[in-house]
Amino acid sequence: MITGDVDSSLSADEIALYDRQIRLWGMAAQARMRLARVLLINLSSIGTEICKNIVLSGLGSLCILDSHAVTEEDLGSQFYLSKQDVGLKRLDAAKNRILDLNPRVNVTFDVQDFSSKPLAYFKDFDLVIGTQLTKNEMVRLNEITRHFNLPIYLTGSNGLFGYIFVDLIEFHAEEQKIKSAKATAVGRISDSVEVTEVVEKKDEEKPNKVYEIVKTKHTYKPFVEVLSKPTLKNKLSRRQSKRLSPSVPLTLALFSLDEMQDELTPQILKNKALEICERLEVPTTILSNEYVEQFVVQRNVEFTPISAILGGAVAQDVINILGKRQTPLKSTTILDGITLDMPMFEF
Amino acid sequence: MARESNLIKIVGKSNYEKLRSFKCLIVGAGGIGCELLKDCILMEFGEIHIVDLDTIDLSNLNRQFLFRQRDIKRPKSTVAVNAVQYFNNSKLVPYQGNVMDNAQFPLNWFKQFDIIFNGLDNLAARRYVNKMSQFLSTPLIESGTSGFDGYIQPIIPGKTECFDCTKKETQKTFPVCTIRSTPSQSIHCIAWAKNFLFGQLFTFDNDSENDNGNDWGTDDQAEIERIKQETGELSALKNIITAQDESRIEQILKKLFVDDIEKLLQIENLWKTRTKPVPLSILIIEKALHNNSGAHLNENSLWTIEEQVNKFIQSIKSLMLRLKKEKIDIEFHKDDKDTLEFVATAANIRSFIFNIPMKTLFDIKQIAGNIIPAIATTNAIIAGLSTLTSLRVLNLLCYAATKSATDLNMAFTAKASNLSQDRYISNPKLAPSNPYCPVSSRVNRGIIQITEMGLSTISLYQLTNLLREKYIFPEEVSILDTSDNRLLYDFDFDDLEGKKLTDLSLGEGSVLLFSDEEGDGTDLKFKKPIEFYFEIASGPLENEILLPQIESSYITARRSLHDETSEQDLREPQDKSKEDQTIILDEDEETAPENKRLKRPLPEESADEVTEEIRKKNKISEPPAEDNVIELD
Repeated sequence: MITGDVDSSLSADEIALYDRQIRLWGMAAQARMRLARVLLINLSSIGTEICKNIVLSGLGSLCILDSHAVTEEDLGSQFYLSKQDVGLKRLDAAKNRILDLNPRVNVTFDVQDFSSKPLAYFKDFDLVIGTQLTKNEMVRLNEITRHFNLPIYLTGSNGLFGYIFVDLIEFHAEEQKIKSAKATAVGRISDSVEVTEVVEKKDEEKPNKVYEIVKTKHTYKPFVEVLSKPTLKNKLSRRQSKRLSPSVPLTLALFSLDEMQDELTPQILKNKALEICERLEVPTTILSNEYVEQFVVQRNVEFTPISAILGGAVAQDVINILGKRQTPLKSTTILDGITLDMPMFEF
Repeated sequence: MARESNLIKIVGKSNYEKLRSFKCLIVGAGGIGCELLKDCILMEFGEIHIVDLDTIDLSNLNRQFLFRQRDIKRPKSTVAVNAVQYFNNSKLVPYQGNVMDNAQFPLNWFKQFDIIFNGLDNLAARRYVNKMSQFLSTPLIESGTSGFDGYIQPIIPGKTECFDCTKKETQKTFPVCTIRSTPSQSIHCIAWAKNFLFGQLFTFDNDSENDNGNDWGTDDQAEIERIKQETGELSALKNIITAQDESRIEQILKKLFVDDIEKLLQIENLWKTRTKPVPLSILIIEKALHNNSGAHLNENSLWTIEEQVNKFIQSIKSLMLRLKKEKIDIEFHKDDKDTLEFVATAANIRSFIFNIPMKTLFDIKQIAGNIIPAIATTNAIIAGLSTLTSLRVLNLLCYAATKSATDLNMAFTAKASNLSQDRYISNPKLAPSNPYCPVSSRVNRGIIQITEMGLSTISLYQLTNLLREKYIFPEEVSILDTSDNRLLYDFDFDDLEGKKLTDLSLGEGSVLLFSDEEGDGTDLKFKKPIEFYFEIASGPLENEILLPQIESSYITARRSLHDETSEQDLREPQDKSKEDQTIILDEDEETAPENKRLKRPLPEESADEVTEEIRKKNKISEPPAEDNVIELD
């Protein structure tokens, strides 16, 4: 519920249009979102979902960068494309449909390849999202965002499985919760999260109800470091590591084998995943052959329900950090679309 | 490569062909429904039918991505279907109507679907579709969102929990004395203004405020007497309204905000432990009465007490005028400016008197109008989970065959709901049906085929005998029409026995519950009740009626509904997310995130409704009926 702090810069029309979300995150967050400039690389299946969610939410401006032409396959997972569009640039095909979605958001379209962009291109954005990129592209993009101190979200899918990597470098979050019997203590609570300040606040109507405003500092590693030495040592209980989804080591293994094309076989992938299980210090027995085979067959495959889940999660986190609400995602999130498991890790 | 090539990598060639032959039903074309439609199209379901009774509203556009400003007031289902044509590759069939309307949507119509997706915003329709799914053994994927929170629950009839297997939370109510005498929070004042005062002054039929049989919340006779007397006195105020006598508005203000408060103050017992209210200053009232300026006030800022009183007077004037013109009761509606301003200012003036912080019009609109926050992202995630799971429910994943229904997972938002920092989604396995569930376990079901001739010639007496003989029930039975909970027959109510079925308004879509009221004599074993759906036969029938084959079975120790509920409570809650909770969280009920502290009022569009309960105990909570969060009794 909204309390105080009304930002008069939102017009009555905007308040009416965004009513159901302003009631969730407040006028101030909505007004802050309106100032943000976001770069979205690739209008993939997940990119399409992110674009829809962000434009609906009333973010300030969104630039979409994508040089791909529409393929028949794209029609199976991207709802801004039509049969007649095959062969056109994706952005040329989708442009008018996206512009029609919410005229209040300034959406621009750039059909150049992201690798052709000079470094300076990126500094005009507040946040970068990359979807369905190769490992090398992800590493490169992350170097750029680190250079300009920008937050980045990298997301993609392998058929029924998907991942989100987040590098916010350093992020300060603030959350209000009802105080429990034990007060929240200031100090480090994990490798990357530290409680920096706890302030108590009384409910103005119910004086016996006490809240805590907890400030936390979150530090992130660059993507390349997450890939090079991930570990779950001491982070999971025995039971949790036995029940870890095989999609976790397999997703990481696919990145290590990024250069391989058609020559990737289930055996090669399995060997790599076994190596990763050892590095993560989780039992190798979690790797079933069905999962390994699926990862080979479904590598880079885009699938709408998976895109909807990942695109929803990324867009909401982007909205949260721009509006300065809620704790952000951890550095790595993996989705197992069979069991609907979606664990988050600091690695 | 072709459009379906990626899909085939996931489901395999032969399952892809099956998918193309499947028909799915999407119930609701709102926040979740628009997302479901898009997902089902891109998953290439052969045929997709979508039902919604609603039209598009401005406040839908922040998330219902198939709708535009130009579509406002047009029907959701048809606009949605038009909007997806450019990427559609399935046969789409939209319906504008209420899914519970059995004339438009008889059971026979539901039969055609291989799977049903719920994208609903109210409990009654959820229960109804659940029942249809149980009648036909059609898998149902139930879902809902509220703000950041959402859940999905696949329901496999006969194998897993149905929608009614878990207890649904009912809305929060307050004792009468809290509302009428001793408010301590602004919600109490809003309840007073909306449910009591507004009804007293602007509606003619005041059954709603019958002071008898209420939960008074007090034994203080002086207070109860005062409350009853006050109700009577308000009818005098109503005469002022109906006489449209502006010169007497002053009396209304003085009665509500001065005299009644002074009377309350005389009951000293009430104020031993509470802060005494302070009657509204006569000066403020008089000043406001002489101030005719209709200054425009920002609905997002907090108005002063003088501004509240001014607005209160203005809203009474507008409502008086309308009552005169329209000559019918005025009902409170959150989007009706006059009614909202009346309720908000009356509530705030009362808050001021009782030393409770006042609220902005924007905030009061949410509470009084039962508005549930709703966002695009949660709906997209939930619809994605629903459609993804449908592949396992239909056993279409070529690498992960579904061996048992209880291997399937339900899912709910964990991170966004502040339940875990280690997982984005919690995914407990489905539970088997609750053996005490009155919908999925403690009843058999069948369809009675009957001709029009049968309906007009067969009497209730004859039907009862046919059923008793066919299913070997004892002498003492009862028959209940479940659509309106109307008792048609039992051992000491046989008045209707001689009536023909048509005279009892039975026909296509009627659902009768046939129960054993006698048992085996030991009071331990009873015939399992049977629920019958009436379907008009398409052709002639021998004897004009055809009863279904149902294996007649027994249930032990019949319980009252009350007992069943407590039985459910005893069941171990399965919170699979517990172990993952970090120190930021706490299982203490009190640590529920701030924004969910109020048991959420009502779903305006709560397809969309989850509360603490579900997150904590993994039980689905329930959207109470629309528009009456703050019931008085």
